[in-house]
Amino acid sequence: MAALAPSPAAPPLASAQADTPSRRGMRWAWLLGAAGLSLVFTVRPLRDPDVWWHLATGNLIRAHGIPGSDPFTFLGAPNPWIGQQWGYEVLLSATYAVGAWLPMLLMGLAASLALVVALRSIPRSARVPGPLLAGALLLSALVAGTVLGVRGQVVTVLGTAIVLWVLARWREGSVRALWVLPPLLLVWANLHAGFVTGIAVCLLVAACVALWRVVQPDAVPLGRLRPLLIAVGVATLATLVNPAGVHLYPYIVSTFTNPTLTSGITEWMSPDFHEWALRFFEVEAVLLVLLWALSRRPDPIDVVLGTVAIAITLQAQRNVSLFAVVAAPQVARYGWAAWQQWRLAGSHAAPPRRPRPSRPALPALLLAAVVWVATGLVHVAPMARASAVAQDVARNFPVAATDYVAAHLQGQRLYSIYEWGGYLAWRFPTDRVVYIYGESAIFGSDRLQRYLDIHLVRAGWREVLTEDGMHAAVVPGDSQEATAFLEIGWTTLCHDGRSNAVVMHDSGLGIGPSSTPPDPASAPAC
Amino acid sequence: MSGSDEGGASRRGLRRLTTPGGIFLVAVLLLCALPVTSRIGDPDFWWHLRTGQLILDNHALIQTDPYTYTASTHHWTMHEWLTEVLLAGLNHIGGMALIVVVLSITTWLGLLALLMRALLRRPGFIAAGAGLLLATVSGYPIWGPRAQMITFALTCLLLLIVERHLTRGGRAVWLLVPIFLVWSNLHSGFIIGAAFLGLIVAVESVLRAMGRSEVDPQRLRTLVYVLVACLVVVVINPSGPHIYLYPFETQGSAAQQSLIQEWHSPNFHLVEVRAFEAMLLTLGIMVAITRRVRPRDGVLVLATVAMALQSVRHIALFIAVATPMWIEQADMVGRRVFPSVVTRMENARETVRMARRGGMLLGVVVAVCGSLVLTQLAVAASTRADSLTYARTFPVCAARWLDTAPSGINVFNQYGEGGYLARSIVPHGDRIFIFGDAALMGDDLLRTYGDVESVRPSWERILQASHTDLVLFDNGTPLANVLATSPRWVLVYRDPYSVAYIPAGSPLVGKLPPQTSYAQDSRDTCGLLQNLGLGDGS
Repeated sequence: MAALAPSPAAPPLASAQADTPSRRGMRWAWLLGAAGLSLVFTVRPLRDPDVWWHLATGNLIRAHGIPGSDPFTFLGAPNPWIGQQWGYEVLLSATYAVGAWLPMLLMGLAASLALVVALRSIPRSARVPGPLLAGALLLSALVAGTVLGVRGQVVTVLGTAIVLWVLARWREGSVRALWVLPPLLLVWANLHAGFVTGIAVCLLVAACVALWRVVQPDAVPLGRLRPLLIAVGVATLATLVNPAGVHLYPYIVSTFTNPTLTSGITEWMSPDFHEWALRFFEVEAVLLVLLWALSRRPDPIDVVLGTVAIAITLQAQRNVSLFAVVAAPQVARYGWAAWQQWRLAGSHAAPPRRPRPSRPALPALLLAAVVWVATGLVHVAPMARASAVAQDVARNFPVAATDYVAAHLQGQRLYSIYEWGGYLAWRFPTDRVVYIYGESAIFGSDRLQRYLDIHLVRAGWREVLTEDGMHAAVVPGDSQEATAFLEIGWTTLCHDGRSNAVVMHDSGLGIGPSSTPPDPASAPAC
Repeated sequence: MSGSDEGGASRRGLRRLTTPGGIFLVAVLLLCALPVTSRIGDPDFWWHLRTGQLILDNHALIQTDPYTYTASTHHWTMHEWLTEVLLAGLNHIGGMALIVVVLSITTWLGLLALLMRALLRRPGFIAAGAGLLLATVSGYPIWGPRAQMITFALTCLLLLIVERHLTRGGRAVWLLVPIFLVWSNLHSGFIIGAAFLGLIVAVESVLRAMGRSEVDPQRLRTLVYVLVACLVVVVINPSGPHIYLYPFETQGSAAQQSLIQEWHSPNFHLVEVRAFEAMLLTLGIMVAITRRVRPRDGVLVLATVAMALQSVRHIALFIAVATPMWIEQADMVGRRVFPSVVTRMENARETVRMARRGGMLLGVVVAVCGSLVLTQLAVAASTRADSLTYARTFPVCAARWLDTAPSGINVFNQYGEGGYLARSIVPHGDRIFIFGDAALMGDDLLRTYGDVESVRPSWERILQASHTDLVLFDNGTPLANVLATSPRWVLVYRDPYSVAYIPAGSPLVGKLPPQTSYAQDSRDTCGLLQNLGLGDGS
């Protein structure tokens, strides 16, 4: 059946060669080998600050069901609790109970699988060779790996990849593939709020296909759009089958439109291109545009999807993983097309090459399996060892400081930074000692601003601290809060050398020392 | 070409200007002077001006930092000495108004050179006007009277001369040699110009080796000679060959890149950066549609995209390089997608009667746009250094207060205000902690400053070790708020913009003058600041 929207014509050299099972096997071998190697980038330690409160919530749900309101903070959250990630949280809690290695491994596998699925969305007629598929997969894994790890966003990355695959099959003429969308969106909406990406991608592609009729009225049978729109409509209705029902959508809107979130939280900010990791995004984006230009005729839908992916990543660096999923198939497809253009341009000078004979795929598949085993042994296993996980967590979260709080300040209201709030929620899930943590939407802009008053030592910070009744804190030893607390008479109880956290307490004097206070890092070890 | 041919060509050119596309282009060219014309906003301007005055007064360059008490022994590479002398000279002749006028015109001439380079490829006027408009809006975060605009204008001029040479030949390309001689004494951005020239030569040489160059080999050879000559003459400056290292020291400084805002990556949440984003994305889309890019354009654009994404200040270079390519691409896309509309817009004045009407309309547009630009220029140029406008942006009133205090005070100041204080309180005998020549300050001092600014636990020890007498900082900053709660510091000055504190046991206690109080109806700048606040609801 004819493709719905323009695609580059099948490359002449590839089409000249029959796509034998052996060649398909080789492509799979390259793809699977690269997927195995990509685990180096996608299996990440437990560094995402949100992982802890998701774990705590998952434990809570498994024990008592989905909470009706914020279960962790002592002030309670002004907005109702929307358990939009309850499915992810339950899965996380259940797998973490087996061992920290399991969610790390599963999330890494899901991210790598997402890239494999995304690469399967390349039109079959393109017949991109295995090495290019492998290269594109590894480049995208490198780009996406910077923001992946154990976090719900991996679900959205995988979901987006599946949507791209479904749309590719639909454009090739398969209506049946569209009926993957409703169950996909049903599950997705119960795992992560990023499911709206799937709906948005479908609608964007539908709009592009409809618009393409303006340029080539006879190219697109409008009737073919109908099943897509019906499937998307049913899928959207399916997303309402979740604990929050229709309230899920206002929750998502409030998250995206919260100005405090986009100006105060790193992953919602524009990329900082001084960081090498984000330079890889830049490299892939530039490469993509170059390949569009060098290939014969880029698919307008690909150009639109690629441009939108770049634009949303420039808005929020967390979207770099979505960009990687969108870019992977395009880099492979247009890289191959550009290479063929290059060869065609020089073909008048060089004698035509004879097609290579097919090679048996089994050895290559075995080699791919070796790559998986080697990656597992060299990278995944050492990282996932219990002692390695514990050490990494202790370096990034206030483990020793929290131990001290559990022993000496049990039940006291704690001020802490936004990034550590989730860890405190996990450590004290029923004590309600936490001030704020990563579920920003339930706190709303006002509460986040009050937190920022203290965090940024803005005018009135001391009043906020007093009004909210906090007399103890777990903060980084070199933070401005630590300095400010010393000036109002708080003392440093202990220093956690591994995470550089300090436990501070209000001495009740209300006034700072008359001489320069000692560095909080010089306090006794926690 | 005969005289009558030339006359005919100029008549045809004028007639083209009376088409809707031509009128649009002229209007845009005039209106793009609006955003590049503004009052002084660059915090570095003030110390450049003061330095120029010092050079003129002493008839010699300055060897070491004359402003701070922390870097007074640091050797100063005066890579902008000529700009500083020019600023001081202009200030002497016509005050700050003349500086604003000259720098605004410089930026506008850069835009004009950029447009002329685009027009070498004969695009339609609509595409040219749209591209120039987008470029001008994209540069909004950067425009303003500042030394960097010299590099912007000279980069545009360089690229125009090189493009003319490669496409039409001639000897004008040798003008680049004196341009580089002057440029290397005006601003260290000359290295960017040299790099662009080197890239063009490299790309064309590679293409030639591959047999794909469209450039005449003799012209390319001439360009190589010009490049070599330029690289030689830039050494004729007070720092000699060391000037080559200076830009790399700045680029390679992690402290500068992380602490100084204009070196940060662009924040695409800001409305003023959205036009840059639009320019970037639309350029990518158009390249995908046309798939026709000159390799030298492509390489330069890629280089400046990388630079602009790294540092917001480099958006100006992206504009200088990418705008002609954007215009060319837009023209190709426009002619492909809307061929009849483009043709109609360009040939709408075919009859004499219609041309006369177009001429009248062009006159009206020039008059209206010109008036707007002149009004803006007059407003920007007439803003006095001690006006309320500047008092809301720089510590004008605090500096005035310090002028009445005993001299010889070491003042810990905000980085972005060091330049203003270097001009206002250093002549009085005071010294500052830091100012905007980050390379002169050095990474260690920048990091130390950062520790105090963000109130890390060592902040007070740093102030003590550096023998700071007084902290003058912006109201509402973390440092100001910590000082307000500390029992060891005493508030000695406060206005809506600044606060000043001294240590409780300082010998200055009791020696500083009281703060002037102003009546509600005072017309004095500091009285207005006191009564009206910062104008943002404070």
